[in-house]
Amino acid sequence: MGWRWLVRMRTALILLGVLGIMTAIATAVPQAPNVPSTVDAWLAGEEGPGATVARVLEVIGAFDVYGSPAFLALLLALYLSLTACLIPRIRAWIRLVRHSRPPLQRHGPGLEATTFATDAQPATVIDRAHEQLAGRHWRLRRSDDQPDAATGQPLQVAAEKGLWSREGGSLLFHLSFYVLLGAIVYGQLGTFEGQRGVIEGAPGFADTEVSYWTYRPGRWFSPEDHAGWRLDLEQFHVDWIRDPLAPGAGQPTTFRSDVMITPAEGEPFAAEVEGNRPLVVDGVKIHQLDWGYAPWVEVEVDGELVHAGFITTVIDDEGVYVGAVKAPAAVPDVGLEIELFPFAPDGDDGLPRLTGAPWDDAPLMVFHQWRGDLQLGATQQLITELDTDRLDLVGWGFMRPGQQVEIEGVTVRFTELRRWVGFQASYRPQIPWLLFASALLVAGLVPALYAYRRRLWITATIDAASGRTLVTVDGRSFQRPEAFAVERDEIIADLTRTLDEATDNREVLS
Amino acid sequence: MIDDLATLSRILYSPVTVGLYFAAAFVWLYALTTTVGRREEQRRGATARRAAWALTVAGFVAHLGHEFARGFAQDRLPLGNMFEVTSMMALVGVGVGVGYLTFARKRSDLNGFVLLSGGLVLAFAGLMYAEPGPLMPILDTWWRTFHVSLLVVAMGIFTAAFVFHGLYLLRDAADNAKGPPKDPDGRSDDGPSGLAAPGGTTGALGDRVIDAEVSPALATAAAAVSDDDRTAIKTRHRVERAQVSAWRLALGTFLGAASVSWVFIVSADTAAAGWGRFLTINVTLAVAALVARWFTPFLPSAATLEGLAHRTIAFAFILWTVGTIAGAMWAEQSWGRFWGWDPKETGALLTWIAYAGYLHARATRGVKGRPAAWIGVGAFVVLMATYLIANYVIVGLHSYAGL
Repeated sequence: MGWRWLVRMRTALILLGVLGIMTAIATAVPQAPNVPSTVDAWLAGEEGPGATVARVLEVIGAFDVYGSPAFLALLLALYLSLTACLIPRIRAWIRLVRHSRPPLQRHGPGLEATTFATDAQPATVIDRAHEQLAGRHWRLRRSDDQPDAATGQPLQVAAEKGLWSREGGSLLFHLSFYVLLGAIVYGQLGTFEGQRGVIEGAPGFADTEVSYWTYRPGRWFSPEDHAGWRLDLEQFHVDWIRDPLAPGAGQPTTFRSDVMITPAEGEPFAAEVEGNRPLVVDGVKIHQLDWGYAPWVEVEVDGELVHAGFITTVIDDEGVYVGAVKAPAAVPDVGLEIELFPFAPDGDDGLPRLTGAPWDDAPLMVFHQWRGDLQLGATQQLITELDTDRLDLVGWGFMRPGQQVEIEGVTVRFTELRRWVGFQASYRPQIPWLLFASALLVAGLVPALYAYRRRLWITATIDAASGRTLVTVDGRSFQRPEAFAVERDEIIADLTRTLDEATDNREVLS
Repeated sequence: MIDDLATLSRILYSPVTVGLYFAAAFVWLYALTTTVGRREEQRRGATARRAAWALTVAGFVAHLGHEFARGFAQDRLPLGNMFEVTSMMALVGVGVGVGYLTFARKRSDLNGFVLLSGGLVLAFAGLMYAEPGPLMPILDTWWRTFHVSLLVVAMGIFTAAFVFHGLYLLRDAADNAKGPPKDPDGRSDDGPSGLAAPGGTTGALGDRVIDAEVSPALATAAAAVSDDDRTAIKTRHRVERAQVSAWRLALGTFLGAASVSWVFIVSADTAAAGWGRFLTINVTLAVAALVARWFTPFLPSAATLEGLAHRTIAFAFILWTVGTIAGAMWAEQSWGRFWGWDPKETGALLTWIAYAGYLHARATRGVKGRPAAWIGVGAFVVLMATYLIANYVIVGLHSYAGL
């Protein structure tokens, strides 16, 4: 254990394996920050492997893997191991880049060397080889440069390439993870994200702390950082493939909001928000997240108006838009469960036919009326749901826009139907840093996997027997032998061509 | 017009392309066996290779035709659902695999394995067949083209790498049959320990140490072989094959495939359909493994196969990295968050970690070789599992509507 254990590659592999297992768990088990309702369903035993297993999963933190202490500990260990590995590697790399020169070959060529004869003088051969390799960006060293150059030794040029690019790329790749981590932490602190629903044609919202329905600021984001622009939704366009026989029937084809933006300073301007095309206002990105139908519902109790306003409905699993009216002004409280069927045309018998179609060509509102105690403020409630624990069902009815229904002194009026859009505003100052980290990562990855370190020695001697010059080319590659073999053959072919041009004569000996 | 194109694309897919790929694979594999033997057999091998090339090119062109017909029939890039992505994965696997083997590595004799796996992937796509249709507007952006194409190309290449790893494991086991390994250079192209010395001017082959009796490269040069030698060769082939027990291989492949294909049991409409798919996939892969085992003696050296696997994974890993980053950039643009731990996102990360683990393992003394190859195989299982689970079992933002 300890430092030596930390710097071993095997340790890094084990830690990567643990990270893999944790990620596998997070893939297979629903994560509370993402899909809290699914997690609740698992815990209740309605979905998943059953309540007992879910209980165990909850205890070991499997429902929030990336928020668990175990994950933080693993992250710490990974970065410690990374740092411990990198420090000596960076030192060695700097030494290599600054001081390394290709070594001369002192013990003669190896078994795999290629030798050929030429009429060029050894000095010419070495000059040409030097020129050619310099053109290919090799690091070079010549035997006749040496202060201790022994006379009688054959002339030689030693070359090396890929010395620092592979290892350098690998280091850059690994260092980019620090930038990535820094950017993520900075993002957690400096970010802001808020969500808010807006109804077509109705007053929108201003970019202030209190106007968002959900509001998640980073620790460093203060309410004064809001720019204070204002957004109003003019119209929301949505359409579908309506022909039930057409391919892709029922799929949406349009999804666009026409909005009016009033900046904190300056004139209001019209803009569009579309899927894949968020609107950027004062550095804040505005996305469409969600949408639904928004009927105007009025409730009168004994001739007195107790509720008048747009209801935001959300689509449920059956394709019905559900919402709720909560009218605590009445005594006792009135609560309405609303189900909106956007396309429910009249059948032959004059009664509406429910279809699953989402377009609002024949909207029908079905409501259940409850009286009693809404328990507003007493229990956690969604705005689209009633807490019916202390409510009594009085009756139900249905109506189309412009119609009204009276049940036991309570009149419910459905005046008009609009749409609402859920917007998200987000400010993420870390994005440029994340892009920078990604660029570093890829820039390091490519040479780390593709560059290869190799050495080449070209020696020229006079053959005593024939009086011609023998050229020997020998080379070694640390990685990617197959790529080096090709490169080496190219260099030999180039060199022989240059020498041929110089002497117009050449003969391969071996 | 549209319907005609849709029909054309369906016919080009099956039986045309699927049939041509399997036929080409069959002929390539037959040609592989003719490299050891008499002159007339070698002549037959040359004819077979010509036929195999014709089938391969015809299959590839038919596959391209299928993609284009489908693309025009629905007026969009055919990368919108599971069938289309898997089909494209096969196209890329075959194109890059055959191209790389033939032109970069001069090992066209191994094309049969690439085509066999390409045919299997393509046939597998048929289990998820969907009629051509339009795309949701949210997906209709060049971001998707960029992000999905990169990942699909990487998946295709990872598939080829998986095949090379499987063949390497078979070949490596067979090498152990001959006592101490004949390959003194369990060569890696990673880490300074393996100062590899590429030799001769012969070409780009990675395997310097060639077992003359085994390697097709040199065996072709050998003259005719007498009948006695043939018996000896056959005996040795049997010994090499016997290094991997057929039962264990079949059972292992079946179980390995089952670790992914259970998805079909869980997600199918009827139990019969689910079990049918489950068994079809597992049995087919087990048979494919047995076929590969039969061809073990004809495979090139373990070092060559290992090198092929490593180079293909290195390339696909870069594509996967860029594709995942592109996905995060698209998510920021489309959903307003660059990373949300959606099942598909964690799946992509998990695959990335698995292949990163392989690359690190290969650079580690004592782990490279067989253990690293097993990690590479495991990484492919992770890739397929996350691909299928995130689409079929867990509903997330990435799940394709209607598949």
